[in-house]
Amino acid sequence: MGELFTRIKVVFTELWADIQSAIANADPGEKVLSVLDAILPVLCGVLRVLAVIVAITVIARCITSLYREKTGREIWGWLTTSDGERLNLHHWENALGRGRWADVALQTPTVSRTHAALLRDHKGNWKLQPLQTKNGTRLNGKLVVHTIPVKTGDVIDLGGVPLEFYAISEEEEREQAMRWGVAERPLSPGRTLAYLMIFQIMMCIQCLPGREGPDMAMIAISFAILAAAMWGMYALYRSLKRTAFEAETIAFFLCTVSFSITAAYSPDSLLRQTICMLMGLVIFFVLSVLLRDLRATVSLRWPVAVLTCLLLIFNVVLGQRLFGAKNWIDLGFISFQPSEFVKIAFIFTGAATLDRLFARRNLLFTVLFCGFCMGCLALMSDFGTALIFFVALLVIAFLRSGDLGFLALMGTAAAAGGWLVLQFKPYIANRFAAWRHVWDFYNESGGYQQTRTMSAIASGGLFGKGTEDAFLKNLGAANTDLVFGVISEEFGLILALCSVFVLLVLAVYAVSRTVNARSSYYVIAANAAAAMLIFQASLNVLGAVDILPLTGVTLPFVSVGGSSMIACWGLLAFIKAADTRPNASFTLRLPKRIRGWIPPDNDAIYGGRYDDGYDYDNFDEYDDYEPYDEYDSYDGYDPGDDDVREWQPRNTRRQDTQVWRRDDPAGGRPETRWQDDDPGALWPQDGESDWEHTIPFRSDNGRKGGNRS
Amino acid sequence: MKRLRGRTAITLLLTAALAAGLVLFCVRLVAHGGEWVGFFGTTYYDAGALYDANGVLLYDGETGSYAEDQATRMATLHLVGDRNFGTSLRSVLSSRLSGYNPITGTTLGSHDVMLTIDSALNRTALEALGGSRGVVAVYNYVTGDVKCLVSSPTYDPNDPPADVNENPAYEGVYLNRFFSGTYPPGSTFKLVTTAAAIEKKGDLDNFRFTCTGSTQIGDGVVTCPYAHGADMTIDQCLACSCNGAYAVLALELGANELDKYMKEAGLQDSLTVDGLHTARGSFDKAEAGSVWLGWSGVGQYNDLVNPCTLLTFMGGIANRGVAVTPELVGREAISGTQIPAALSGGPDTFNIYSSSTCDRLKAMMRNNVVSSYGQEQFGDLPVCAKSGTAEVGGGQQPHAWFAGFVDDPNHPLAFVVLVENGGWGSQTAGGVAAKVLAQAAAG
Repeated sequence: MGELFTRIKVVFTELWADIQSAIANADPGEKVLSVLDAILPVLCGVLRVLAVIVAITVIARCITSLYREKTGREIWGWLTTSDGERLNLHHWENALGRGRWADVALQTPTVSRTHAALLRDHKGNWKLQPLQTKNGTRLNGKLVVHTIPVKTGDVIDLGGVPLEFYAISEEEEREQAMRWGVAERPLSPGRTLAYLMIFQIMMCIQCLPGREGPDMAMIAISFAILAAAMWGMYALYRSLKRTAFEAETIAFFLCTVSFSITAAYSPDSLLRQTICMLMGLVIFFVLSVLLRDLRATVSLRWPVAVLTCLLLIFNVVLGQRLFGAKNWIDLGFISFQPSEFVKIAFIFTGAATLDRLFARRNLLFTVLFCGFCMGCLALMSDFGTALIFFVALLVIAFLRSGDLGFLALMGTAAAAGGWLVLQFKPYIANRFAAWRHVWDFYNESGGYQQTRTMSAIASGGLFGKGTEDAFLKNLGAANTDLVFGVISEEFGLILALCSVFVLLVLAVYAVSRTVNARSSYYVIAANAAAAMLIFQASLNVLGAVDILPLTGVTLPFVSVGGSSMIACWGLLAFIKAADTRPNASFTLRLPKRIRGWIPPDNDAIYGGRYDDGYDYDNFDEYDDYEPYDEYDSYDGYDPGDDDVREWQPRNTRRQDTQVWRRDDPAGGRPETRWQDDDPGALWPQDGESDWEHTIPFRSDNGRKGGNRS
Repeated sequence: MKRLRGRTAITLLLTAALAAGLVLFCVRLVAHGGEWVGFFGTTYYDAGALYDANGVLLYDGETGSYAEDQATRMATLHLVGDRNFGTSLRSVLSSRLSGYNPITGTTLGSHDVMLTIDSALNRTALEALGGSRGVVAVYNYVTGDVKCLVSSPTYDPNDPPADVNENPAYEGVYLNRFFSGTYPPGSTFKLVTTAAAIEKKGDLDNFRFTCTGSTQIGDGVVTCPYAHGADMTIDQCLACSCNGAYAVLALELGANELDKYMKEAGLQDSLTVDGLHTARGSFDKAEAGSVWLGWSGVGQYNDLVNPCTLLTFMGGIANRGVAVTPELVGREAISGTQIPAALSGGPDTFNIYSSSTCDRLKAMMRNNVVSSYGQEQFGDLPVCAKSGTAEVGGGQQPHAWFAGFVDDPNHPLAFVVLVENGGWGSQTAGGVAAKVLAQAAAG
């Protein structure tokens, strides 16, 4: 502590002396400049601490927004048993059977473990697919062998168990989406973005000291484009009635860090980084829209796979001759690494819908495709990326088959392949020789980079030493392979850890959304994308600090490099597509008539008022939305109708949602039924009068925020 | 779909692995960050400066330059070190020189470190060694401050000799002999044997020995340079360093006692002096009754000591049983503003023999100087000492030792001088000690 106080004393003594001598300067113009010169280093030091605080705020808001509410479950239809029990269909792909993992579990011996599947498409059409033949599947009495359409009122018979099928109507779908739109509002993304923009400004200023005029302009313009892209994308989201922006905010946060280290190293590269980020956004949109229609997506698997193979073959065969490197394609005005785009293609083709999961040898195509890609990457000597592919394959294979034995088999095969590689490429073995002993090789190729990285991280402390005095950035490939160390040195360990931590948040987010996902395609794609990002980050970060061998892969979104940036945005599209919160992803279509209605942000709710200009206490004002409905003519639906008022109490928070309860006449535990369990039509209706309507938890008095009116 | 939910654990597993890796890294960073910043291959943060106790610049990290004066550069080379040195103060202090701490890293700038060394004293010591290989060290046995520390051979770091790696004169030049060397202690080990005898042999005052120049021990003979005389007391035996008498004592005490008393003296421990570790001394327990046990009691056979621990042992005798670990680092400052010292309980100490044993040893060592080595060379300083002449075999001259202390509260100085192949201990090494002590006491 004594040291710290002494240091602060010295800093301020010197600062004061500098300012005094600056003020003594006769020329007023120079006076201002020299005062600025004296203040800037101290200001940057203060900014670095503040930037970390703002960054943590941004991340905390994203996490809060993602996990503040227990995710409710969508219901797309149900099956009614002969004794009146209702079995909800929570997904677009539902497995029916006796097994533990069936989405609709039927505890009858004549039902097979995996008996049949009920599948819905994005247009609301349902199909029944029998998954076995031993215990028959019947539809309205007729034996079903192949997939056939079903509709409300049909009776499905599984091994002698009759089930009446009911698909929710469009109106019920709209009702469900609206109810959720209120219950699961994200934390105001606008405010989070405002914080993020403050962070961007702080980072931008820190990149300025020691730069000449043109470089300064380049840095300022690039950061301005970054901020504009961010706000532009958000505006687009709002106009599409999507309000959840957490994953995108995280990506923009990482882009900001990437821009900062690029600016600190070489402002000239900022232009490419900016263009590539914009291209990444385009890919993100294109993929998100493409993923809307799963049937089309699945049908594109083969063409994409073939194109990918051709691209790789082209590069392996001609890359060296045409561009001087096997793993680059140089088109003159832009050069990119095809392997980065193959990642997207791999997930695109590797993910599968539920019906495929039950098909025999359903993995063969994926395994072959992955094997081909890895082979090409090995020929390009890009073993780090090959490893990432392999891990993605493991994730996809496990999600699709659930077969640990298969994983073990592939692991063994990979180990054998790795051994072969080490035999033929001894320079890779060298990396392993230094692994865990880098300090014994600190001036040799095996340990040079890692020792510098670790040294730089330690020297940066928690808040970094600024962009000007840093040395690590000048090491070869430091801004891609050693980027964790570069961030630590320049902006501090906390920010570097934050940059990795948000990737963990993204991965957990991808996994947590599987509870509700509509199709297994989204689940598998999101998990594979998250696994790729996480594993790549592991190789990059842990490789640079000698916990894993150094493989030379990029840190997602952060490393300087265009192809990687573009590909990461593509991977993000897969993750985002799994988010079934209403108004989160535009991969998921909204029910038609809800499109004119924007669910308000939670932040904006105080005492029954949202700060968006509408008085939600007075439902008549809902009429005001009518003119904004851009999609279809007003069909008579009025959100202010009685039933809406039923499910939307005055101050809607999950805690306040209503439950229905009835006492057990036999004296057992009273049965409760949550409002959310049963959408509209199946709420206690007439004839269920013994249900008592209660409001369970808090009264209005206990509500956080209270009544401000 | 439910089926898939369980399987997503594989993604969480990967996520947990990355999180665990980050935690592991952070733990390692907290534990080793200082070493990482200061690793010797780095040229990035080593920006602080090293000064001696009087403010003489020894090394400036900003410019990478050494002391101005060539004699000072040579006399402090083993402390400051250059790129060829495995360990030196500059390498062990590099994280302090760079101003490292785990919170702010090196971002707050470098520190200046003042050593306790007096570079003028170092110059005198190096000059006194006269080009011989060896060690001279002086420290304050009350505070632990090392006043003088020279290891020879040395060279000018601004002008390293071209043949430094081939020329035998520079053998072991990259070692700081004070910390890293171990040598046969020769007769200085008789202090350990004496201490054991004082405590274990009840009738030591009645001990008499007649030296004929050679003494039959077991199946061999322990020789003295000449016949020391008849009916000598233990004090006389130590003063004339009679090998025969001490071989007899060693046989009486046994190898286990000698080993135990050497350990109690701290001579088999490794000390840590501001991050520099000393080599360990050793004692081979020879067969009981053999001539080798006799030789081991006079500091030959396979006995080895390290100069630094021997110096600390001397300080322990002077301090009546409490040995103070040496310290090399004095104050630290940032841009000339001194950093307030952290509260500490004084220097590190450890106990050696009982105070009465030390008093007896002290009296005997004083007697050595008065009756044998000659007080006149030390002027007014009440020096207590023991010389040593360690045979090294191979037809080479023996190593000359002279170790002891000034028994004066105004000048609480302990010293050790080793001249490799220097010949007769009290003459060669004693002369070096006298010059250095005179200057140290005056300054």
